[in-house]
Amino acid sequence: MSSKFYTPDGFNDTLPGVCAFKKDAESKLRRLFFLHGYQEIETPGFEYADIYTKPDFVKEEDLYKLTDSKGRLLCARYDGTIPAARYAATLAKDKFPLRLSYIENMYRFNQTGGGRQSEFTQAGAELMGIAGSDSDAEVIAMAIRSALEVGVTDLQVSIGQTGLFEGAVNQAGLDEETAGIIRNAIVAKDPVTIERVAGEKGLSDNDRDMFLMFAQPSGDADTVEEIRDFFTDPKATEAIKNLEEIMEALSDYGYDKYVSIDPGLLGSVDYYTGVVFKGYTYEVGFPIIGGGRYNKTVGAFGRDMECVGFSLGLSLAITALIRQGLELTDPVAEAVVGYEKGNKDARVSAITLAEQMRLGGTTVILDTSSKSEEELNAFADDNDIGTVFWFDGGEK
Amino acid sequence: MLTIALSKGRLAEQAIELLERAGYDCTAAKEKSRKLILEDEKTGLRFIMAKPADVPTYVEYGAADLGVVGKDTLLEEGRQLYEVIDLGFGKCRMCVAGPKELKDGKLDKIPNKRVGTKYPNITRAYFEGVKKESVEIIKLNGSVELAPLIGLSEVIVDIVESGRTLYENGLDVIETIADISARVVVNRVSMKMKSDEITPMIEKLKTQVEIMNSNKEE
Repeated sequence: MSSKFYTPDGFNDTLPGVCAFKKDAESKLRRLFFLHGYQEIETPGFEYADIYTKPDFVKEEDLYKLTDSKGRLLCARYDGTIPAARYAATLAKDKFPLRLSYIENMYRFNQTGGGRQSEFTQAGAELMGIAGSDSDAEVIAMAIRSALEVGVTDLQVSIGQTGLFEGAVNQAGLDEETAGIIRNAIVAKDPVTIERVAGEKGLSDNDRDMFLMFAQPSGDADTVEEIRDFFTDPKATEAIKNLEEIMEALSDYGYDKYVSIDPGLLGSVDYYTGVVFKGYTYEVGFPIIGGGRYNKTVGAFGRDMECVGFSLGLSLAITALIRQGLELTDPVAEAVVGYEKGNKDARVSAITLAEQMRLGGTTVILDTSSKSEEELNAFADDNDIGTVFWFDGGEK
Repeated sequence: MLTIALSKGRLAEQAIELLERAGYDCTAAKEKSRKLILEDEKTGLRFIMAKPADVPTYVEYGAADLGVVGKDTLLEEGRQLYEVIDLGFGKCRMCVAGPKELKDGKLDKIPNKRVGTKYPNITRAYFEGVKKESVEIIKLNGSVELAPLIGLSEVIVDIVESGRTLYENGLDVIETIADISARVVVNRVSMKMKSDEITPMIEKLKTQVEIMNSNKEE
């Protein structure tokens, strides 16, 4: 059967209404990034698959793959950060810190459902070549601003730190395998496994409770004080200091109400090296914001660099807004101008008027289908067009 | 409003019983009808009755905030969920089973074995991940015990409760893959956005499970 009438699974048309809203949101985000000094870049739609798979940032099976003319493996753009990291390591010379932004479509294999599509638009920003809590906070503040700018106001951002778990593992003296089991249990918020492993390995009461704290279902704390006492390892203490400073800075931005601390947010082990965060809203099953510090990533391209960044799933955010009750309007035009068939003077007047109105910012359709005055009025009624002009010689 | 996905059948009944003991009015859910969505505006609870294998999907995608489902289904579906409570009922084991003669390590002597199962993902993860061997997986939809009896496969992977069906057919448990019981799962976003409703529910359910377990021990 011919499949020319359908779009592939995970790929959708963006039709009038949604498209107008989305393009408007993109303009607002572009403006926001520009005003914060984040230069926009475009990276190729296809890259060598190696940039994602060596080292293992992304699983090979999650990439859309094809080959180039020499048979080398390519993949469709999976995210904005890795290409930005490649750029920073190879082309950016010494202009650091570097502030980059992008608004592009990403392609992910087999990751549809719950509001997600295989092709979707992400907007993101990367702050590269600089460390410190203030930089972390700037990027988190940018992430919150981006969501607000698009219209997501029911927003909650959870902030974690990879150093907490690393420190906890040191403190409890866990071997790699046990740490992996506990890590998975924390990600699944599964206290049963943690209790069992703690028993088997003879962990102290404090260390057991510390790992259980990571796995608490409602992991969020308003301040670091609620978790500080569990930790003695210097790595964890440093992480707590980082979180404390970030929360303080975000309070200076006036964003207290959007943020909380989630120790159980561990981040991908191969990727994040400090703060990690996720942003949530109602009506979609997945976070709309993701980000964190990734100091090792640029190193994969031959140059060590401290980086922090975020991305906003714009398509997912719009899906959420629509499900939250956003009314989309995209009227065909505000005005329509018509003229008598075959009447040259009337056409000149119509074209002139339409041009003048457009200069003033009004959307104007010039009727090219030789409608009579009555037909033109009926057309305007059908399409919610408020203003009608008709020329039949001299007078309108 | 919280939406709770229940696995149709015995597991749903037990889950409702537990919720009631935890102080939640589940009159709506107990209504004897063919309705698939049972909603009570007063209590703010909405129940959906789903096929067990679909419960993780409803919860992962956020169509339901919470779900009650067997660990076997969770292992097979491999969804991104929070798995917050072990309810302690619906207990059984995920096992490799086959003719008695294959016990005591003889199973490992068969190369390229064929495995009949309703759980291809668990089977693959176990043989490839744990036992480091490749097997031919034959996906079946029921009466899996037939497969080794009739020569379709050497062994099966299935849940075993009492083991009676196995014994009566001359089969036995050869290896245990995992212990199974009913779990409460929560959507990762709901856990954040509806924490005010979900956290107290989890706490109350946990308390009831503890009471239940301590009664059992006595």
